[in-house]
Amino acid sequence: MSFFKRKATQPSSGYLGKGKNRSKINFSLSRKNAWLLWLCQCLNIAVIALELSTWMLAIISLSLVWQALLLHQNRDRVKAKNTIKSGTQADHRPNTHLHKQLATNVAPVLLGMFALLGCLAIAITAKEVGILTSMLHLLCFSYVLKAFELKARSDFYQLLLLGLFVLASSLIFRQDLAFTLITFILLVINLAVLLQLFSMEKAFATNIKVVVLLLGQSTLLAIVLFLVFPRLSPFWQVPRAKSAETGLSDTVKPGDIANLTRSTKLAFRVDFGQQKVPAYSQLYWRAMVLEDYDGKQWSRQKATRTTLSNKATGSDKSSNDKPLTFDASTTDVLPLNYHVIVEPSFQKYLFALTPAIIAGDKSGINPQTGFTFSSTRIISQAKSYQLTSYLTAPLALELSKKSKQVNLRFPEGSNPRLEQFALQLRHNYADVEARAKAVLTFINKEKYAYTLQPPMLDNNSLDQFFFDTQSGFCAHYASAFTFLMRASGVPARMVIGYLGGEYNGENEQQSDSQGHLSIYQYDAHAWSEIWVTGKGWLRIDPTSAVDPQRVNSGWSSELLQQQSALNNDLISLYKFKNSAFLNAIRLQLDALDYQWTRWVIGFTTKQQYNLFKNLFGKMASWKLALIIGVSLIISMATLMLCLHLLNRTKHTQKVLSKWQVVYQKALAQLAKQGMDKPAGMTVNDFAKQVREQSPELAIAFTRLSASYNSLCYQTLSIDEQDKLVLTMQHHYRQFLHILKKQS
Amino acid sequence: MPQTQPVIDQIQASQQSITDILNKIETVVLGKPKECRLALACLLAQGHLLIEDLPGMGKTTLAHVLATTLGLSYQRTQFTNDLLPADVVGFSIFDKETNRFELHKGPIFNQVVLADEINRASPKTQSALLEAMAEQQVSIDGITHELPTPFFVIATQNPLFHAGTYPLPESQLDRFMMRLSLGFPDLKAEKQILLNMSQRTNQTSQNVELDNEAMIEQEELIAIQDAVTQVKVSNDVLDYVIALSHVSRRAYSGQANVANMTWDNAPEINCKPLSPRASKALLQAAKAMAFIDNRDYVLPDDVQAVFYVVCQHRLEMQPNQKIGSNQSDSASVANQILNCVDVLNPFGYS
Repeated sequence: MSFFKRKATQPSSGYLGKGKNRSKINFSLSRKNAWLLWLCQCLNIAVIALELSTWMLAIISLSLVWQALLLHQNRDRVKAKNTIKSGTQADHRPNTHLHKQLATNVAPVLLGMFALLGCLAIAITAKEVGILTSMLHLLCFSYVLKAFELKARSDFYQLLLLGLFVLASSLIFRQDLAFTLITFILLVINLAVLLQLFSMEKAFATNIKVVVLLLGQSTLLAIVLFLVFPRLSPFWQVPRAKSAETGLSDTVKPGDIANLTRSTKLAFRVDFGQQKVPAYSQLYWRAMVLEDYDGKQWSRQKATRTTLSNKATGSDKSSNDKPLTFDASTTDVLPLNYHVIVEPSFQKYLFALTPAIIAGDKSGINPQTGFTFSSTRIISQAKSYQLTSYLTAPLALELSKKSKQVNLRFPEGSNPRLEQFALQLRHNYADVEARAKAVLTFINKEKYAYTLQPPMLDNNSLDQFFFDTQSGFCAHYASAFTFLMRASGVPARMVIGYLGGEYNGENEQQSDSQGHLSIYQYDAHAWSEIWVTGKGWLRIDPTSAVDPQRVNSGWSSELLQQQSALNNDLISLYKFKNSAFLNAIRLQLDALDYQWTRWVIGFTTKQQYNLFKNLFGKMASWKLALIIGVSLIISMATLMLCLHLLNRTKHTQKVLSKWQVVYQKALAQLAKQGMDKPAGMTVNDFAKQVREQSPELAIAFTRLSASYNSLCYQTLSIDEQDKLVLTMQHHYRQFLHILKKQS
Repeated sequence: MPQTQPVIDQIQASQQSITDILNKIETVVLGKPKECRLALACLLAQGHLLIEDLPGMGKTTLAHVLATTLGLSYQRTQFTNDLLPADVVGFSIFDKETNRFELHKGPIFNQVVLADEINRASPKTQSALLEAMAEQQVSIDGITHELPTPFFVIATQNPLFHAGTYPLPESQLDRFMMRLSLGFPDLKAEKQILLNMSQRTNQTSQNVELDNEAMIEQEELIAIQDAVTQVKVSNDVLDYVIALSHVSRRAYSGQANVANMTWDNAPEINCKPLSPRASKALLQAAKAMAFIDNRDYVLPDDVQAVFYVVCQHRLEMQPNQKIGSNQSDSASVANQILNCVDVLNPFGYS
């Protein structure tokens, strides 16, 4: 409401002589606004910069620098012309013409060439970077180029609109609370710049205030639409973007996970609800099972192969089905229910504590071989699902011949020393479990080191790692261990996923605590599984032999230090964890972000439908849509009508501005003293009269009157008005003070 | 912002010359600073000036000193009852040598026309000035001639009860932006006048001291006039001006088209309605007053200061027959109007 008031009390378009110039709208930018526009562009690009390719970023920043140079040059030119002009007659008409040159216009031929070349580059690289990124390139490229041809008002609109698109598209990649807030702030800035084009006389800060007010007013509508507007499953799907993929990849070379462990990005969150969170060493979040080893890297068994065999023989189906889904009825282990919210990873795999079954909604999730789960679609926005796990239940008591074969296969002769060692083991330890334990004790006793900066290995040779360098991290140990097991005749495979997680809540040991577990990218881990007759797949984590702390409670401070050194981050996790206060803040923010993800991002069609079902009871969705639509339209119409009526009554009533109110108050005070102002007397004359009648009040009241005159009649800009109102209020307080003294 | 800058600049630039002009006028027309300011404001607002008073009150002196200090070409014309339009405007005469009609320009082709005792001329001659004052051009034998800029008519007249006077028609009166009357000087001023006269020993006429140099360049005068039109007028002042003229129209047309006005309750004022031209003149004069006051915006004080001189001659029902019209006395109509409009809230919204 105060916004409308502001508008009403604004000084009228002012002096009469201006009318002629007004009718002819000659669009031009002032120097300040040109820079503002440029700055706004820079900010918009900065938000999305991480998602762009380096070469595109280079082009864009070059263009921006070019624009800045043009702006700078133009300023000098304007200055030069101004000095020449001031010598002659003062004629301010060419001034507008000069303003026009401030825009960063470039010859259209040059611009066209540049644009063509850029588009060509985008088209060429499209295959490499994926459709999404190349579309993004196109958008950003056009956004930057548009700034070179600002001729008419519509060009500015286009530029700002493109800016908003850039801003919106940055939300494809990140939706966490902090980023959303940043985007929102930028939205405000963009809109304020747009407003600035219309009201150049106002200060930028005032415009920002207006925009914030308007956006604030529109939040209500936004909330209603958020709750009510049907979430149509998109007709399009966010195309795969290679650069956007985060998290694990489906092939692992020893050395791969190191890159991940540098990242402090969130991977997913888990909510155990009212249940007690399992011990840290139990939290092996399984993502993928890698069964193929070609001597250099581990990779997933080709999915096509399994599906083919699935379809090939019906009789074989039962044996193949078993590892797919875990049968909960066969165990008497206590179930553990939890809720997982995955951050967008642009991949398909999901996380689970094995063995698990899907509780609740099953759509969109496929169980995979090896007790893993995957999403049917690329996870481009936060996805949530519920699982029930039976932590200690055995996995796959029977092993089909085929998978036994697969899990024993290794390229012979690739790592001769390890093979030798494996044969030795086989000879010494007949029992499979004892054999595994022997390897672990070997690792523990020898001088193996757990480090994030392992020395380079030639050709990813496990031999070299195991016998020479003897330092590495989880992927190295898991690879070597799995290889050893296979070579010694035990079915073994590599599993990748995440280990542990950070609990954020009051107390994780209490059973009814409200909190959640955050698993970050640096929690990425690799471990092994061996198959033992009668016990099924057993999880063996060779990392526990070399760095037990990593497995039992998380990263040691030494490793954190290593990590922060690798990252060169100013605000590293290590520093955070060392300061209790900062860590508390971090956890608070994390909790906030979790709520945001859970309630806002996670508000999907399903939740929406459930909400309405709770509110209105069960009914057909089309009926629901009809009711909502009609009630929306009706409520909007009544709101409009109310506003209209409210404004109409306001029109007939003159709204008093702040200074008028203050002055009337002062008059009322004087009237109490017996000094009435005749209607026809001007403010100055009355001040004179007051001066004669009571000299004590003279100074304060004369000042008050002077401010009133300036505010009322001087057609000041809004900024100046605000300042003057403050001084006027100050004078009024002085005036009251003196009045009090008198009485 | 670029449009407002010149006004302030111009005010600062011409502040000195304006005080010089005012000082000059006040040394000649003694004891009448207020009237001198108003007269100057009228000329800066590009308006024509009518000075009405008894003979010997210094009307012609004021007109002369205004013309000379502004550095304009001027010619004085004594209006008599046998003066013909052609005597004022000029006429075409056949030249035998060139076989062509040649124009003999009348006194009106000066920048300042002093029409002395204008109401002694017949209405026909008076109205010869109409086109010149309104359009700044004259038509002689169907050919239109532009008049020089700046162009002012400064007229003097005797109060109407004097013998041998024709009242100016309303249309003519309306074209004068201001009607000033000087009134009798106070004791001190009159003493000074007498002293000045006796000091001047070998001067034949008191007009000798008017032959002084101009105090202002013509370009500057035009620049000031331009700047005056650009003085800022806030919405409130506009409302005030409109309210004033609406009050005057109430008795005439019975129109009270704005509801809830405070002056609806005020007694009806018996006056002629103010025309939009009058409102324009009022605003323009107020702007000039603001300019002289070194302000680039108009205050209601400016409007009030010029209201009497701008509107009184347009408001009067009967010819003013009072001797040496005194403002507090005969300004009743104008004062009534001023008193019933609230300055802070012109339209009286509640």
